[in-house]
Amino acid sequence: MNQVINLTLNGEPRTLMVACHRTLLDTLRLEGGLTGTKKGCDVGECGSCTIIMNGKLVNACLVLAVEANGAEIITIEGIQRSALELHPLQENFIKYGAAQCGFCTPGFIVAAKALLDENPRPTIDEIRFAMAGNICRCTGYTKIVQAVDETAREMQENGREAL
Amino acid sequence: MTAFSIIGKSVKRNDLIDKVTGSAKYVADMQFPGLLYGKTLRSNVAHARILRIDASRALALPGVKAVLTHSDVPRVLHAGSPHPRSASLSCDQYILDDKVRFWGESVAVVAATSEEIAEEALGLIQVEYELLPAVFTVEEALRPGAPLVHDLGPGGNQVLDPVTCQRGDVEKGFQEADLILEGDYEGGRPVPAYMEPNVCTCQWDPTGGLTVWISTQTSFMVRGIMAEVLGLPLNKVRVLVDHMGGGFGAKQDLFQTEFLCALLARKTGRPVRMEFTREETFLGGRTRHPARIWLKQGFKKDGTITARQARIVYTSGAYGSHGPGVTNVGTTALASLYRCENIHVVGSCVYTNTPIAGAFRGFGVVQAYYALDIQMDEAAVALGMDPAELKLRNAVREGDVAPSGHPLIGHGLEDCIRRGKEEVGWEALRSRERDEHGPVRRGWGLGCEMHGSSAYPGIKEQGNAIVKMNEDGTVVLFTGTAGLGTGTHTVQAQIVAEEIGVTFESVSVVHGDTDAVPWDIGAFASHTTYMGGRVAQMAAAEVKAQLVARAALQQAVDPSQIEVRDGVVSVKGTDRSVSVREVMMPKRGIPAPQFVGSATYHPTKSYSFAAHFVEVAVDIETGAVKVLQVVPVHEVGKVIHPVAAAGQIEGGIQQGIGHTLYEDFQIDLKTGRSLNPNFVDYKMPLFMDMPTIRTVLLETAPDPGGPWGAKGIGEDPIVAIGPAIANAIYDAIGVRFHHYPIKPEQVLAALQEREGGAQ
Ligand code: FES
Ligand code: FES
Repeated sequence: MNQVINLTLNGEPRTLMVACHRTLLDTLRLEGGLTGTKKGCDVGECGSCTIIMNGKLVNACLVLAVEANGAEIITIEGIQRSALELHPLQENFIKYGAAQCGFCTPGFIVAAKALLDENPRPTIDEIRFAMAGNICRCTGYTKIVQAVDETAREMQENGREAL
Repeated sequence: MTAFSIIGKSVKRNDLIDKVTGSAKYVADMQFPGLLYGKTLRSNVAHARILRIDASRALALPGVKAVLTHSDVPRVLHAGSPHPRSASLSCDQYILDDKVRFWGESVAVVAATSEEIAEEALGLIQVEYELLPAVFTVEEALRPGAPLVHDLGPGGNQVLDPVTCQRGDVEKGFQEADLILEGDYEGGRPVPAYMEPNVCTCQWDPTGGLTVWISTQTSFMVRGIMAEVLGLPLNKVRVLVDHMGGGFGAKQDLFQTEFLCALLARKTGRPVRMEFTREETFLGGRTRHPARIWLKQGFKKDGTITARQARIVYTSGAYGSHGPGVTNVGTTALASLYRCENIHVVGSCVYTNTPIAGAFRGFGVVQAYYALDIQMDEAAVALGMDPAELKLRNAVREGDVAPSGHPLIGHGLEDCIRRGKEEVGWEALRSRERDEHGPVRRGWGLGCEMHGSSAYPGIKEQGNAIVKMNEDGTVVLFTGTAGLGTGTHTVQAQIVAEEIGVTFESVSVVHGDTDAVPWDIGAFASHTTYMGGRVAQMAAAEVKAQLVARAALQQAVDPSQIEVRDGVVSVKGTDRSVSVREVMMPKRGIPAPQFVGSATYHPTKSYSFAAHFVEVAVDIETGAVKVLQVVPVHEVGKVIHPVAAAGQIEGGIQQGIGHTLYEDFQIDLKTGRSLNPNFVDYKMPLFMDMPTIRTVLLETAPDPGGPWGAKGIGEDPIVAIGPAIANAIYDAIGVRFHHYPIKPEQVLAALQEREGGAQ
């Protein structure tokens, strides 16, 4: 059975026709055309499908698309400030080598964005705790902490508006 | 060359903008009109003959477009990892067979208009099996009269004839020893657990050409074997790899889905994608080879090793895959690292009815050096020596025979140990006061390793590159090397830019299309910088020579007077300079030059070295071991991109902590069923489990075979960390473990046993 849902994807209102059993992850990737959000397990174990839904971090593979009716959703494609300008988190993920294969990276950047929105100057342990549900198999996580910490520091120095 | 302009700098990696914005296209991200979804039915028995498959109900399901079973596909015997230049391959796989040899093997595939329909169709296929007796452990497989997993191979359940490495006289060596140590060591079954599940999409064009989009480390090998098995010329198979989400060695194999995807696409006339679920990456993917090692060494009082004897047995699982290579590399590794004149080591590899072991970072050496390096620590304790001193005394040196049979270059290992000792203040740590209050005991350990860059002599290696300069002075490198995520295409662009004397930004890289780039053997064996980087440098040097000749003509000087640096061409000893762009720009009446350089390189092998100093905390009430800090010291010849190099080391340490303390893919020994094929039950180190890592990179033993002496780095870190942790646990609680993973309950049991013994 199919159903029509209305939602806001990265600030853009969208109307999508979805099968009732389809996950939000598959819907974003197929009907939404937003393939930046990755499928590493499809069962809530890896965090590569992390998105922000109504201000909260969720694993898109654990949400049915129909549950997202009326929701406001931010994916990795909605993190950039403009087509030509990266978010400081993205800049710092590049600078500090916080991405290798990059498959986990959208999930981490989205999770880091949600963390900094809520807690502009997290401690190292708060950073690690906030991303404990995201698996990266390439980096050993050290450079991810560094990139997030550095972004938070810049954010404090430049004032919140800078983000 | 004086100071470097680009080498040694952490330039902005050329693959990361796509990755941080989500615009990087991995195979599963590519949309195709009319795409069908392929799914695999996997066996729920470990060893059986297939008597009958009834797919009629699946075929009748609306949306199902095709079903293939063993009777519908070409029956071609092939190697799971068909390296075209490998000295030893095990040719033992069919696309689909009328037999299954492990729980989870593919039996049939379905293509349907949606993933959901394809999955539903799998449940409608009925398979009738005749169960066969199975063997799940090496002991069972080697018992006389044991059921055979294959009827081919050298006999019994052996994958290959034993590999022997012998020199000197071990009997004599043991007679000369003051101390003889002997022990059994064991390595578990970790999986690479790359984050991107295996995936490929196949599409045929009307002329009979096949295009394959795939996540692989070895696109030309995929092209070669698909052409062979499907009976196509090479120019009718195009393999495309852009971004891929990790491989760690395992994505060198073919997983049968590639052939099946192509056959489903041919049968339906539509593009078909086959993507593993996470569970399938365990069942149908590749594991590290579980291994048993018996190791005996003789020592003089002063620490000199008089003899080393070992037997190492690797478990291959149901197919040979990389078994021959792993057995060769791991066995010969035992003949090196610590000097010894009397050596006798024998390695073998055994089929069992379990998931397939393949290539995984460390390639047989993880297991071998876990045993060797722990036994060195035991010897130090028995001899009353500092383990670092014992290892320094015996460390391989310049000119010693390497596992490959070549003389070694440089004192890399000694340098690593010495530097690490300084970094952590080793002497002070050794004599520190021990805090015996509370439940936590801390300990320090040292683990050492060496690892070859390139698979020589097992594989006759070859690297190829083409470099061209555009008429505005920008440069394009064409390379067949795969970008697993290590940053290799950045590193190669740095090398090309440095060699020619242009800026990093002016070099772009074309890769990942077998129709467009020169042949490449694939990304494995820590050889991409060493071989791919070196050959890119050679091709760039050809372009540079052409550029210099043209500039010399324009400036009316001898070419030896021309210097090129950072995109500027100058005449030595004068203030005359022009940009590379000006040199190249077409002049009136003179066409733009076409400068193309190409090179082929057949390297032998170099070795990188590492010493890891590790601090652990062991909770004697819970048995939990936590790694607190790691100081890895790596000797890599020349560092091209420091951040990328450190990233390799940190990632390798993470995986090494994983297999040493947590990771074990478990198989039920009664049924062969996989018990934990998911990320909840298969425990890996997560963010909270990672220690601080303070990486030190040394350039003290450059190898002339690599670009400016650079050697490999991909595999080294995962080898050294394991024994370092085991040795640190011993230092903390005085209990010696000979296996991995070392689990909390085993730590507790060992502590309790010791208490019991003491009372
Ligand atoms: S894909 Fe959703 S958590 Fe792994
Ligand atoms: S960068 Fe590869 S999984 Fe994180």
